[in-house]
Amino acid sequence: MKDAAHWLEALRGLDIDRPVRIMNVCGGHERSISMAGLRTAIPDNIELIPGPGCPVCICPEEDVYEAIQIALNEDVTLVAFGDMLRVPVNVPKRESRTLEQAKAAGADIRPIASPTEAVRIANADPNRTVVFFAAGFETTTAPVAAMLAEGAPDNLLVLLSGRLTWPAVAMLLESETPGFDALIAPGHVSTVMGPEEWQFVIDQHHLPAAVAGFRPDTLLAAMYSVLEQLKTGRRCLDNCYPEVVRPGGNSIARQQLEEVMEVYDANWRGVGVIPKSGFRLREAYAAHDARRVFRSYADESRKRVGEMPPGCDCARVVLGKIYPNQCRLYGLACTPRKPIGPCMVSDEGACRIWWSSGYRERQSVA
Amino acid sequence: MCLAVPMKITVIDGFLCTCEARGIEREVSLFMMRDDGLEIGDNILVHVGYAIQKVSEQEAAESWQLFDQMLAAEAQ
Ligand code: SF4
Repeated sequence: MKDAAHWLEALRGLDIDRPVRIMNVCGGHERSISMAGLRTAIPDNIELIPGPGCPVCICPEEDVYEAIQIALNEDVTLVAFGDMLRVPVNVPKRESRTLEQAKAAGADIRPIASPTEAVRIANADPNRTVVFFAAGFETTTAPVAAMLAEGAPDNLLVLLSGRLTWPAVAMLLESETPGFDALIAPGHVSTVMGPEEWQFVIDQHHLPAAVAGFRPDTLLAAMYSVLEQLKTGRRCLDNCYPEVVRPGGNSIARQQLEEVMEVYDANWRGVGVIPKSGFRLREAYAAHDARRVFRSYADESRKRVGEMPPGCDCARVVLGKIYPNQCRLYGLACTPRKPIGPCMVSDEGACRIWWSSGYRERQSVA
Repeated sequence: MCLAVPMKITVIDGFLCTCEARGIEREVSLFMMRDDGLEIGDNILVHVGYAIQKVSEQEAAESWQLFDQMLAAEAQ
């Protein structure tokens, strides 16, 4: 296999003489890029832009609010992936702003690392209702579907906030200012859904695209691929992570998603509704659907107030419109210790990744 | 949350298996790979407790090298 040094040299050898913006849509990619310092290794005219790659960041505020209210007001145990516990919602000071605060206020809330843990907690006390607040992209939502398809205990409900990644990229590409010239497609989303999902970038938008893994060598191989495509005018969806990404993805996972969930027009925090971008449980799984079992706490007015916290620019960070350190609060009011917005909370949020990788300088927006 | 890591299967019990990586053991569901004929000793990519794909020994080793570097960098 060719190593990172090989790809770096090849990339430099392409001698691209104009500015090019390459977007990635995966927190894992952004993390490798930042940690390995790839931005400084590649030529100056190639910009690497973190895009919509963080499911925690785009989880609608009203869903987090709903989870907090269910945990506080219903007689349940609420479980969620650890990252979700610190995501803030916009409420008056005396109310719980995060699931973590609701837990401190007495609600029974537990972090989990896997849907199988939710099943175990539900099985341990069949008389107690367990609500699994499940936010995530395809790679995380497929296991939730598998959990339900396999037969979850009756007392386990799901508050689903699953999202598909490609529709956000499609929305950007259909807008007047997509803000990027080439795409690095996510490796593990493609592992589950198949790389074919990204073919539209080439067929409909004539933009170069390549699926990448997480090591610097596969990321650089993907960068080389899209730059070469730009240079030659040839277009193809390149798979630079063939060790794991296979045609058609994981067919059982896709089948289960299809069986358990349907795709609908869903809200993204700070972004708005994106067509066909969300998963919700099918009628057949209504008995496990927390949204049908409980009344909704997040009404329409919630959806209007429910954007980002004041001053937080996460939505523009998520859409690749600004870099994290161009937010006015970056590193000042907002740090991983005291995060203001979701992008600083989540391990996959660009603000958090940049801060942990050592970007401390703020930049003004040009 | 989105990060999937390679692990080696040490015990299989129906759709569940025990996996190991870097001395850490985890229970992992094979439900999404139940048609793949996975065996003890195989390496799988594990995401939130579910196997999502089979990987080679080499791919697993190389991924772990990267994670070790990242963890070391983050610990600093
Ligand atoms: S630095 Fe903080 S406040 Fe600014 S966009 Fe990022 S998360 Fe939001």
